[in-house]
Amino acid sequence: MLCNTYKMTVGPMHSVTLYHWEPNANSGKPMLALMEKGVAFESHYLDLLKFDQHQPDYLAINPQGTIPAMLHGERVLTESTAIMEYVNEEFPGPRLMPEDPRDRWRVRWWMKLMDQWLGPSFSMIGWKVFVGPAVSSRDPGELQAAIERIPLPERRVAWRKAIYGQFTEEELKESQRRVALGIRMLEQELANRPWLASNQYSLADINGFNLAYALPLSQPALSNDELTPNILRWLRAIYARPATKACWALGRTNLVKRVTVLEQPHSGGGG
Amino acid sequence: MRMTLYHGEPNGPSLTVLATLFAKEVQAELVRIDLESGQRHTLPCAQEPLVAMSVEGEGAVLVVAGEAMTDSVFIACYLDDVGPGAALRPADPYGRWETMHWCRQMTERTAPAAAYLGCWAHPPKADAALLERIGSVDLRARWQQIAAGKFSADHLTDSRTKIHQATEKIEARLDGRQWLMGRFSIADIETYAWLAGMVRLVPAAFAAKPRTTAWLERVRTSPAVAQALALSRTGEPAASWSVGPEINRWG
Ligand SMILES: N[C@@H](CCC(=O)N[C@@H](CS)C(=O)NCC(=O)O)C(=O)O
Repeated sequence: MLCNTYKMTVGPMHSVTLYHWEPNANSGKPMLALMEKGVAFESHYLDLLKFDQHQPDYLAINPQGTIPAMLHGERVLTESTAIMEYVNEEFPGPRLMPEDPRDRWRVRWWMKLMDQWLGPSFSMIGWKVFVGPAVSSRDPGELQAAIERIPLPERRVAWRKAIYGQFTEEELKESQRRVALGIRMLEQELANRPWLASNQYSLADINGFNLAYALPLSQPALSNDELTPNILRWLRAIYARPATKACWALGRTNLVKRVTVLEQPHSGGGG
Repeated sequence: MRMTLYHGEPNGPSLTVLATLFAKEVQAELVRIDLESGQRHTLPCAQEPLVAMSVEGEGAVLVVAGEAMTDSVFIACYLDDVGPGAALRPADPYGRWETMHWCRQMTERTAPAAAYLGCWAHPPKADAALLERIGSVDLRARWQQIAAGKFSADHLTDSRTKIHQATEKIEARLDGRQWLMGRFSIADIETYAWLAGMVRLVPAAFAAKPRTTAWLERVRTSPAVAQALALSRTGEPAASWSVGPEINRWG
């Protein structure tokens, strides 16, 4: 069987290469999972703002032109959440999925909500205020050509809207509604237990941190020590982990400098 | 452990969970609910966040020791972990990655398309009082669009394209394989559950795809899926649809 031939050529001892952007969103998930497991990997930084992810050499690895992608020996893996589960199962090191099957269900449920419901709303706002403005002043012809090279039609639409400021009021309002509701849901869940989906640190926390670490800064009226003490406690606990520090050191833009609020201890008493 | 499964006609998410339950030989009390009239929103657990906010839309709910679980692929993983029946995911991490990756593409790209086309051809009907009870604002909005008969031409076209892409992927994957992951797995069940109803609605996507056609029949007649399909009350489970996941609004 195919799996067996792979088994012989790939194992925990084979080299790992990760193609990623900032330790943030989907890139940050496998980065932090690898760091937590203590797996050495070759880091390939792709500059999303320079469209590195749509260049032919990267498309040969991931034809969808999205980041991240991971090479392990001859294997090519995509989809950040599925990569994290692979990293957890394939390599020794601390277990990042709980033992209890129902806890594992909860980890996956939360990751899906963040990946497919909450994350896209964060992204839309982030692309409007950060990604779009960061590239829109470039040569119009060059931008046009860059957009046309994007393989996934959905991503092409998103880039076009970000570059030309075409997100509608209605869709931005809907994203803001989801962000506000998502914050309330996270706060409520984190009031129930120390970590997001179970009583142990898991992939759900890694996923959630990469989504939410900038919340106190980007949504200060909705997420702060008074309104969401449990979110702040949780973000600070993850931020303090050595793996997170090591991961953050791979960032090159201002994105990673936005977390000073997490370096401060809790301001409102309690924990 | 005491389990109760609330499920609808054996199609889509209900079929995935029922077939997995039978394949894994897990005992549960089966309670039929009418997903097409929104009856899920009358369950005592309906307003729990992990039920109300399930990304999957109208699907089965498994209650285990008082905790209500949603999302068919992840319920299936849970049942695979706890049931004595043959494993429904490969044992090695790479095979498991392939399974989760496959199911992600299925739930993110194919399921919203299938549910949209399914609801267009076989509209679910909930009365106004029931719509009021729907906890998720965006799920309620999808119900209201369907109730008003509003289907966008763009979404219908895009959904047909997504079904074509799914069957192309399946046809390629089945080259040299009987089952998507080598052995009968959650991926076969989940993929069949969304696509069975598309054979009639997007026939061109299945034309000249002999491997896909043979695989559909293989899944349909596999013991656990056959047992689930036998629970149909309409005799035509693949024509039974309720509101599904939303069509990707970001990319
Ligand atoms: N579902 C994929 C999504 C990957 C994705 O869309 N990544 C974004 C960055 S967070 C990207 O590559 N965007 C590049 C582009 O749109 O050109 C995953 O989780 O890996």
